[in-house]
Amino acid sequence: MKSLVIETMPDSPYYPQVNFDAESGICEMKGESYMEEAYKFYTPLLNWLKEYFLEGKNPLVFNIKLTYFNTNSSRLLLDMFDILKKSMDNGKAVQINWYYLEDDPDIKDEIEDFEIETGLKIKMFPMD
Amino acid sequence: MCNNNIQNTFVCYHGPFDIDVVSFFSNYLRQHIRANVVITGRLYKVLIELTQNVSYYSVEQFKKDRTYGSGIGYVRVVEDQDSYSITTGNKILSEHGPTLQKNTSEINSMSEMNLRELKRKTRSQANIRDIGAHIGLIQTGLLTGNNLEFSIEPINNEFSFFTITARINKN
Repeated sequence: MKSLVIETMPDSPYYPQVNFDAESGICEMKGESYMEEAYKFYTPLLNWLKEYFLEGKNPLVFNIKLTYFNTNSSRLLLDMFDILKKSMDNGKAVQINWYYLEDDPDIKDEIEDFEIETGLKIKMFPMD
Repeated sequence: MCNNNIQNTFVCYHGPFDIDVVSFFSNYLRQHIRANVVITGRLYKVLIELTQNVSYYSVEQFKKDRTYGSGIGYVRVVEDQDSYSITTGNKILSEHGPTLQKNTSEINSMSEMNLRELKRKTRSQANIRDIGAHIGLIQTGLLTGNNLEFSIEPINNEFSFFTITARINKN
């Protein structure tokens, strides 16, 4: 399977940068996410994750460096986490790391809500 | 709307809210408003949520192409002595007024923990193909920590005008 790479463009800052590496299993999302019709952007990401758990050889490490995501994007992030949780329950090795801005007082509640909803454990790290 | 002379208006715009308009005003506000980083961050998030609600739910639509349009409405950001307020307004179907009033009043009556629980429940039930996750107002209530001020004014039998104000305290 191929890696999934989406670069950010200055004129569309509402799309995050995506780098899902099929060889290493290291997946990263970075930037902001508040596009229109979010499911159109996220559907290839969801499909890639499902495929990786069928074909990938290495543990999956999901690094999230999103500094902002709107509520519509959060619905799609929840679907990504559901895929990760189901795969973990089926014996796959998955680690989720969330890098957050220290001056964002709301992000820890957001992450905790994802943990409550999915049953996942998300490791939190302040962003450099 | 924007032709009313309200003092300390930071931003006022009336027109279609496509994603580039939403992005322009939210980034303009983030770069130019003189507030601390926490308040600026919350203003940024609330501005995006409220203006995207106009884009998604206004019955007045500007059609860019055949597939979908952008809702028309207005946004105004005002600095008061103790707070910043973000107000949006858009036309709705009058038949949606009672539900909107019930949902917004419910948000205003809830504690932070109950709002988070409602947010999780509503988000998990939303269809991913829906245009929104139906939690924009809940999130706005959580981010501001204040009651949402709203009004629904009848235009005629079919349409009403929905106005909502989110207030973010300076301290």
